Amino acid sequence: MHDATERRAGDPTLSVEALSYRYAGAVAGSLEGVSFDIRQGEFVVLAGASGSGKTSLLRAACGLVPHFHGGALSGRVSVAGRDTKDFGPGELADVVGFVAQDPETQIISTTVSAELDLPLRFRGDEPASRARAIEEVALALNIAHLLPRTVSTLSGGEMQRVALAVALVTRPPLILLDEPTSQLDPVAGDELIWLLRRLNEEWGVAVLLAEHRLERCLAAADRVIAMSSGRIAFDGPPRAFLEHTIEPGAKLGTPAALMFSLAGVDPLPVGVRDARATLRVRGIKAGPGTAPVKAGPRPKRNGRALRASGLWLELDPGEGPVDILRGLDLKIDPGERVALMGRNGAGKSSLLRTAAGLLEPAAGQIETRGGIALLTQNPGDFLVRESIGEELSGKSGRAALEAVGLDLPDDSDPRDLSGGERQRLALAITLAGRMEGSELPDLIALDEPTRGMDRRLKEGLSELSRTLSERGAAVVIATHDVEFVATFADRVVLLGDGELIADADAATVLSGGWYFATEVSRVLDRPGVITVEQGADWLLGEIAQGSGE
Amino acid sequence: MKSLSPLSYVPRRASLQSAGLGPAALYLGAYLVICFLSSDPIVLAAATFGAALAGYGCHAQRAVRFSLRLGAFLAVSMIVINGLVTSRGETVLLRLGQWPVLGRIDVTAESLAAGALIGLRAMGTMVVIGVWSACIDPDRVLRAMHHTARRSALTATLISRLVPLAAGDQARLGDAAGLRGPGATPVGRIALAHRLLAGSLDRAVDVAATLELRGYAQAASTGAARPVPSRFDLRFWGAGVILMAAAVGSIVFGLPGLTTYPGFEYAPGPATLGLAGLFALGGLVTWQRGRGPHARRN
Repeated sequence: MHDATERRAGDPTLSVEALSYRYAGAVAGSLEGVSFDIRQGEFVVLAGASGSGKTSLLRAACGLVPHFHGGALSGRVSVAGRDTKDFGPGELADVVGFVAQDPETQIISTTVSAELDLPLRFRGDEPASRARAIEEVALALNIAHLLPRTVSTLSGGEMQRVALAVALVTRPPLILLDEPTSQLDPVAGDELIWLLRRLNEEWGVAVLLAEHRLERCLAAADRVIAMSSGRIAFDGPPRAFLEHTIEPGAKLGTPAALMFSLAGVDPLPVGVRDARATLRVRGIKAGPGTAPVKAGPRPKRNGRALRASGLWLELDPGEGPVDILRGLDLKIDPGERVALMGRNGAGKSSLLRTAAGLLEPAAGQIETRGGIALLTQNPGDFLVRESIGEELSGKSGRAALEAVGLDLPDDSDPRDLSGGERQRLALAITLAGRMEGSELPDLIALDEPTRGMDRRLKEGLSELSRTLSERGAAVVIATHDVEFVATFADRVVLLGDGELIADADAATVLSGGWYFATEVSRVLDRPGVITVEQGADWLLGEIAQGSGE
Repeated sequence: MKSLSPLSYVPRRASLQSAGLGPAALYLGAYLVICFLSSDPIVLAAATFGAALAGYGCHAQRAVRFSLRLGAFLAVSMIVINGLVTSRGETVLLRLGQWPVLGRIDVTAESLAAGALIGLRAMGTMVVIGVWSACIDPDRVLRAMHHTARRSALTATLISRLVPLAAGDQARLGDAAGLRGPGATPVGRIALAHRLLAGSLDRAVDVAATLELRGYAQAASTGAARPVPSRFDLRFWGAGVILMAAAVGSIVFGLPGLTTYPGFEYAPGPATLGLAGLFALGGLVTWQRGRGPHARRN
């Protein structure tokens, strides 16, 4: 960790003074009296629930607010001494880089090299200087091999890395990131955070990173700013932030900190290494374990919800056909809650799309005898009409809305619903007519449903999946979010390069590795211990044993 | 991993993809002009055929087929809509009586023919846009736009990226429509098109925001290298000038087309047939010896 005094010296790279902002046409303000400074070389994490104002603040820091989004702004934001009221986003492009949540909307060009070339070309750099800048940023981010690739052939992780490279290619002193890991697998997400840390240390770039999954980034941060209802609720070092969040009802604490708090262990850990150091001092032996985790006997399944045998799938992303699934065998029974995990491009979404009949297998078979309802990654794609009543009418529509726990007037406009409600409505649309009375189809599948969700929304989704599985449906969720998986799944299927590489109960899979493991498991490394409550129980047992001795 | 949309640009060593932006734009622009301005069914059909032929010549078969399907849907819609909302014309085929809001509906042969003409125009336009989208590098278009429309990132995005964005969104929305439960209200093509347009414009705004952040509004680049000339440039300049001159000439000199109201009037002469032949054969300009559409598929 850096010396905070050294880091905070000098003029601020980003200065925000009494900033208040309301989007055009909005009734309430998104930001209220926000003030803070970020100095050269600081790594700041921006925390807060969905709708707390994180994205608006980032937009204000790069000039998109108010120049692009309009609205009413008061107060002052300056980047490297330039007031954003006087300088638009284009004129700030050489002093601030911005990486948004969805990589697909921030890649403009056809090839990676053209994408990196674009901001340099706009700035008027000479060809030789552009070539050098592209080479350097490509080497720094380890994407030199991607330069000639067409962007449509990149995985989500590769695309996000390219977006980061584009933001950095002009070497701005400040970089803003809006949940850049939300679409990345745990491996790519961790790599991105540590890459940012390295660039922050070596290049002195100031980083402002908005993120929901704090367990991923807190250890890399110098400081945390927490937002609540458009205001700053906390501004200080990570450990003090954890103390601040460990209060009843607080939803921002990391799993390791919550576990320590429940077990009465001090101080609260900022990351896995920190947690282990504290436990070592307390004489508690925690990981890394040496004994391999053994899965229990595999239950016999009939595969009524889903049965895939010898399944091969081939797709052409534009540079020739590629095998996406390779001879996959899988059975899922009604009532199971299954997490489908694996790296970006492992074949998770493709498997679900093949099960739903959107893709044709090249060989092998896949069947869903009791029907399948699949909700793809963007629930908004399912909402095409002006009211809920127009989307879902009649008895079957009502039954579907009831199944997902939505009780809203028929004339409600889907665009006015919250993110969680929109997702439930979209799920109801996939269920309508596939239910027999109140009986659900045998398989309900959701593809990456937790993108951009805070913990409260994830808990709601976890509860919903439990309710649906108790009513007899197998619930299969493709996700990268290991902490979410620990709360909802009773079985984890791990795919790697189109093949099944692990299939066991959640406690076994999530406690036997490094990347596909919860933070609690990474700290304790005890077989079967994956949730905050399990970890706290184990710690309390160890502490009691220690004091007994 | 996703399959590539039929309208996505794929870099290839084919003629249209290799040619400079200016000659390629002039060549395809001539087809666009004739599709927009001509009211002659033979010329429109020939231009559509020629544009499709051009697409096949530079390995954009998927884009051509996709555009033809979309164009055919638009054409049928135009025939039906025009047949129902326009009661002009002397040859009444069907009397549907008095309807609320619409009033009296008489379906005439002339209104159906007028709808077909608009549909044919739409189909030709779709094919030209499809070939453009699959064969012309949007990066080059964007760089060219930077010199001409520096203050408007949104305009640049709409011109260079709207078709690829819409193509990607169309695939996603189509999947979502197919996944709706049988009890949900089905998504008709009109509702889907409406949603697609609104969604694509929203996404275009997002991309325009990114373009602003990349510094699009900054002064035009000074160190940009001159584009590398292509051996196909001359061919497309030549064909483009001839086709554009023929297209503009046919309008300026008032080449008669099909008149539908109040009755049919159509007398195609040698000039019409010559123009149609020129645009049909003009599609062969993209073809290279020994590199037909079967050499490499899109």
